[in-house]
Amino acid sequence: MTEANPVVLVVDDEVQIRRFLRAGLELDGFTVQDAETGADALRWATLKPPDLVILDLGLPDMDGAEVLERLRAWSSVPLIVLSVRSNEAEKVRLLESGADDYVVKPFGMAELLARAHAAMRRHVRVSTGEPVVKVGPLAIDLAARIVTINGARVMLTPKEYRLLQLLAQHAGNVVTHQFLLKEVWGSPHLHDTHYLRIFVRKLRQKIEVDPTQPRILLTELGVGYRLVVPEGASQVAAAK
Amino acid sequence: MVRMEAVRRELRGSAIALAMVAVTTVVVYALTQSLEVRRGSVIYLLPVLLAGWHLGLIPALVAAVAGVLWSGYFFFSPYYSFYLSRPNEILNLVLFMVVAGVTSHLANSMKTQTEIARKREKEMGDLYAFSRRVAGASSAADIYLAIQEHLASLVQRKVVLFGTGSGGDRDAKPDQGALSQRVHSAIAEVQAGRTATTVDDGAGDIWLVRRVSQKNADFGVIAIDLGSVRPSDIDEVRKRVDDVLSDAAATLERLDVARALNDARMRSETELLREALIGSVSHELRTPLASILGAATVLSKSAVIAKDERLTSLAGVVRDEADRLNNDIQNLLDATRISRAQIRPRQEWIEPQDIVNSALERRRRRLSAHTLSLDVDSNLPFIYVDPVLVEQAFGQIVDNAAKYSPPGSPITVAAKRNGRDVVLSVHDEGVGLTAQENAQLGERFFRGARHAATTSGSGLGLWIAKAFVTANGGKIEAASAGADQGTTVSIHLPFATPASQPEVGPDD
Repeated sequence: MTEANPVVLVVDDEVQIRRFLRAGLELDGFTVQDAETGADALRWATLKPPDLVILDLGLPDMDGAEVLERLRAWSSVPLIVLSVRSNEAEKVRLLESGADDYVVKPFGMAELLARAHAAMRRHVRVSTGEPVVKVGPLAIDLAARIVTINGARVMLTPKEYRLLQLLAQHAGNVVTHQFLLKEVWGSPHLHDTHYLRIFVRKLRQKIEVDPTQPRILLTELGVGYRLVVPEGASQVAAAK
Repeated sequence: MVRMEAVRRELRGSAIALAMVAVTTVVVYALTQSLEVRRGSVIYLLPVLLAGWHLGLIPALVAAVAGVLWSGYFFFSPYYSFYLSRPNEILNLVLFMVVAGVTSHLANSMKTQTEIARKREKEMGDLYAFSRRVAGASSAADIYLAIQEHLASLVQRKVVLFGTGSGGDRDAKPDQGALSQRVHSAIAEVQAGRTATTVDDGAGDIWLVRRVSQKNADFGVIAIDLGSVRPSDIDEVRKRVDDVLSDAAATLERLDVARALNDARMRSETELLREALIGSVSHELRTPLASILGAATVLSKSAVIAKDERLTSLAGVVRDEADRLNNDIQNLLDATRISRAQIRPRQEWIEPQDIVNSALERRRRRLSAHTLSLDVDSNLPFIYVDPVLVEQAFGQIVDNAAKYSPPGSPITVAAKRNGRDVVLSVHDEGVGLTAQENAQLGERFFRGARHAATTSGSGLGLWIAKAFVTANGGKIEAASAGADQGTTVSIHLPFATPASQPEVGPDD
């Protein structure tokens, strides 16, 4: 039974945080491995490759960003960063250097689990080649390049589709402005966030019930966009 | 070149002397012819005296020799010949030469004296002007500027002022970097306690480094480039510098600058300490808060608690209160950032509705007791702001609406275009504002007297919101028909059109 459970490596120097994370993650069906320091984390990550890493940025021995960088040199394990508020630039930097998502302290367990499951599902999707991403009523068939809402076909322009495709590939996780701009418009437009705003507005008019109150394509202010996975759709079993 | 100049000057002087001798000769010739004067060689002293007085030693000597020769020609036998034979003539020659020497020397030293007197007078004038300027100075900065300018004009060299090493606006002088290492170490020495020293900067210039005030080290240090002066002259310069500085130091004392400088230092240290304290306290508080909030969310999901409604709601209370506490801590941190002027908006183009939705989403639980209605225009222009700051400001206003209106009452959130502005507004049907409350709204720590006792708060929220909105070029306005008439608070943000538009072809 334990063998079948996914392993999560929790890297945090605060014992109380580790305690509630352990409880919450175990309740959700994970096997938890703790690490107090960056060095510890890197050792555990090689000794017993985890299925998920939860990484706090403030570690006693090295910067969380450095742990992330060193880990990413050889592993693509899903990784969620525990960040502090009001530092969007840092969040963007961490996402660009390979973090799958972040949660801002203090955070609720449900939020963390939703992000973690989304990241794990993406890795599974990449390895199994699962072509259809479902986000609530929205289904995106990445192989056939067909988008439907409740079964009804939605017609998108190539750029709108490209945008939605990138978000769908990371469904549930945040995707930075810079990444989207680079992938859709190319590097010269890396800072033209208004391009993105215009196309997201068009996209919302096609996929949202009320485009002024989006429920599917959400904005992460100062960071990027997120296709939201409805709550309840996240179970470890689904990822396995 | 200088030598050539001198030779030319002497030649010109000699020529003038000879001309004067010639004029004298004409006069003497007329005298000998008409008046039968036979003892007039003394007349030739006139050109010698004039030349010595005005033209210097060499022209005077030339005049002396020429004069003796001509007087021999007219007054001594053999008459009408330049041949000097009589002892009288030799005596005349020596006498004339001595007169030439003495006169030119007298004239010379008198000129020097005059020059010195004139220079002294100018210095006195300068010093007087300086004293008046210093006496009228209303701030230390004025005095320091006056000292620097006056000393620079006095020694005609570079003068650099330094603070005490522990702060003050005199530290940042642009040309400090040009000083040599030796001068720097002398300055450090004086800052450390010596009153004055002189140092050779290694490039041949002597620097005088001393305290501005001998008595009080707080007034800083001054370094004066004296150029390549002789050691014997240093004392004189030093004395003049002393005169200037003693005057200035007295005024500095009068202005109580010492205490002011000290106070400023203390104040900035206190400020730093306070902010460091807030910073570390809020970090210390947030970490356990993260554990409390996280643990509460885990508890509420556990099977035992989830099946008991009362326990679930208790876990909810823990979560909500931790959330509120976290907000208060965030406000404290934001307030420190504002007072340290550390708000640097990261502006980008943003859909106004994204700010509204984000703020409401974050507060979904806190707003659940109210009936929320949204009125957002679908085609609002984009605004160029820091979305995170504006969202925090807007969220603050939403929080206030929820806090100061009864549970169950409606809150209306709107995002509209109004002229050149995008207006985000929050309307509640709560306690409202009296005219006086509205006037004070947004002041730091202001809390309405009517509810200060019943509703908790720090009086920071709206002040922070105002600072954030102002930093983004917008403004906050509050309107209320009066007490218990409800309140509408709105954020006005100017919009502009992005400079470039994405090229949208048929295939996009």
